Amino acid sequence: MSPIPTADNGNLAERIVAFSHYLRDRGFRVYASNVLGALQGLQAIDIAERRDFFSTLRTHFVSNDTEWALFGEYFDSFWKGIPAKGVQEAEQEPQLPPDLTEMPAGEVIPDTNPPGTETLEELPEKEILEGATYSPIPSLEKRDIATFSKRDIRVAQLLMKYLISLFKVSTGRRTRRSRKPENIDFRRVTAKSLKTGGIPFKLYYRKKRKRPKKVVVLADVSGSMERYAHFVIPFVLGLRGVGSKAEVFLFSTSLSCVSPYMKKFGLDRVLEIMSREVPDWSGGTRIGHSLRQFNEEHGDRLLNRRTVIVILSDGWDLGGRQILVSEMANLKRRANCILWLNPLPIHSASYVPAKGMRAALPFVDYFLPADSLESLRKVGRTLSNILAEK
Amino acid sequence: MGTFRHFQSIDQVEEELAGARYIADRSLATVLFLSYRLQKPVFLEGEPGVGKTEVAVVMARLFETELIRLQCYEGLDASAALYEWNYPKQLLHLRLEEQGTKRKEEIERTLYGPEFLIQRPLLQAVMGADHKPPVLLIDEIDRSDEEFEAFLLEILADFQVTIPEIGTFKARERPLVVVTSNRTRDVHDALKRRCLYHWIDYPSFEKELRIVKTRLPGIDEALARQVTRFMQKVRSLDFLKKPGVSETLDWARALIAMERRELDPEVVRETLGCILKYQDDIRMFERDIWQDPEKRGEYLEPDSDG
Repeated sequence: MSPIPTADNGNLAERIVAFSHYLRDRGFRVYASNVLGALQGLQAIDIAERRDFFSTLRTHFVSNDTEWALFGEYFDSFWKGIPAKGVQEAEQEPQLPPDLTEMPAGEVIPDTNPPGTETLEELPEKEILEGATYSPIPSLEKRDIATFSKRDIRVAQLLMKYLISLFKVSTGRRTRRSRKPENIDFRRVTAKSLKTGGIPFKLYYRKKRKRPKKVVVLADVSGSMERYAHFVIPFVLGLRGVGSKAEVFLFSTSLSCVSPYMKKFGLDRVLEIMSREVPDWSGGTRIGHSLRQFNEEHGDRLLNRRTVIVILSDGWDLGGRQILVSEMANLKRRANCILWLNPLPIHSASYVPAKGMRAALPFVDYFLPADSLESLRKVGRTLSNILAEK
Repeated sequence: MGTFRHFQSIDQVEEELAGARYIADRSLATVLFLSYRLQKPVFLEGEPGVGKTEVAVVMARLFETELIRLQCYEGLDASAALYEWNYPKQLLHLRLEEQGTKRKEEIERTLYGPEFLIQRPLLQAVMGADHKPPVLLIDEIDRSDEEFEAFLLEILADFQVTIPEIGTFKARERPLVVVTSNRTRDVHDALKRRCLYHWIDYPSFEKELRIVKTRLPGIDEALARQVTRFMQKVRSLDFLKKPGVSETLDWARALIAMERRELDPEVVRETLGCILKYQDDIRMFERDIWQDPEKRGEYLEPDSDG
């Protein structure tokens, strides 16, 4: 964490840069262009007016609702003890540093291209990776989600927002050009026939895009699993092309479909309501029994060759092994593929898979860790690839 | 932005917005002032019905200039947003010219004249009116898809459009741009960081009351307070769609049209459709609130300071 500068350390421009670092340490995405913009903005207002000073920094340094909600507190803690007068005395005319983009990489995420010259495809990967390379937060990315403090959770949620945007699944309903004779593209046919006086010598076609696959999330929320569910479920649903069509089921001793409530209440409220209203909510896990419920009650509606099943569980199962094996086999037969996300440290030498997990593994196509933001990155990559496959 | 009426200060923006009957927080006035001074687009996010689109409408009114609106939707592409050639008209023209004695090159030249060009909102914004840059509203950007976002990024970077058959057009002066989003998905970082971000929240009781009284000057004071208080309480409930300020104004207008001076259980039930747009929400409200006399009383409390 950067130390909070005091009023006597340098001019205003330097402290604005320091403030941008302070925000970045807390998960904000702040680029060099934002800092330059903020400095230009401060030249246009009366910086003695603290509320306008605040609004000018906020509009440049914030880019989503989560950051917006956090900004006030961070602003207060950084500029604490610097009254508006102090701001005024610091520098009447904010001096721009010689060239912000020449600052050591990582001080502020540099804008590598002049605005407007990068494409969306090349830009996020490059910039986010640069940010990640030099970011002071990698420790948080590697840490076990279960060890997060309240403050860590807020920063991690911001980080996750950006992590999600790395993965895209093409989901547009817009049609594409096609060589096969399907739907005639009249607009193109007419345009091309101009050359030949309006006689269409060549026909052009368009085709519908393939629908992305459907995701069904089955999340174990018993005991310590609930902490992981808070991160993993929003992450999976946040991947582009997943969210609106995904179905979410929570299970412990029995299974509940929460898809209709997710949009309305959000996951946190849903978990809270479930723990209050479902008997035996935290009474352990019966994976096999819960899967049977899913297969019997929802299988016909949801399972087909374009359904991707995502199971989140540590595999500690109090139910029988036989039922788990038969229901996993059933699931495997009817779905496109099964991902099992496990929050326990798979790669450590001391890791011994739980009995339930061992029984289920033969039916699992992808067995991935989901204990940290870093492991979620891999989950995102794998899932996006699966969804985009023909 | 020489041809826009000149904003000298944030105070002036605040005053002029109020004069145009838009009640804005100081922070929004600051962002609009900066947008004007730094020539940067404004990116407004917030729940539906909190007045995001209205910002662009009011700014166009203040600048006495044209409002060009681009409504986004999934599948929106460059030809629907920028320009398109009117092919049928070109063909007709071609057929007519073939009867004449014009040479081939001459006919071709006339084929790509301005009368065959269909200008869509973004090209209109670049061309601008003769005397003043317009206000460009890009509404609900979150509904468009990513290809369109990338395309928009290019346009917003320098307000320049190349039409191969004619040439390159560059806006003489940048229009004031307002982009709105309802957060149905996250809009890309690259687009957002070229904009000034502002989140518009549901208003406080005092602010909403001011909005109601400003937009509906004839409303009875007691009714305005009662309606505002009712709406503030409704928003604390979990609905599929929480009512925004636009619903408050619609409801108040309906009550004025019905010549009501105060709320009573009957009129609330009759006009619930002005506030809640989903049958499930209406059912839940009637079941959980309206059938309980005590809760109903809380919602109908007369004149209170919120």
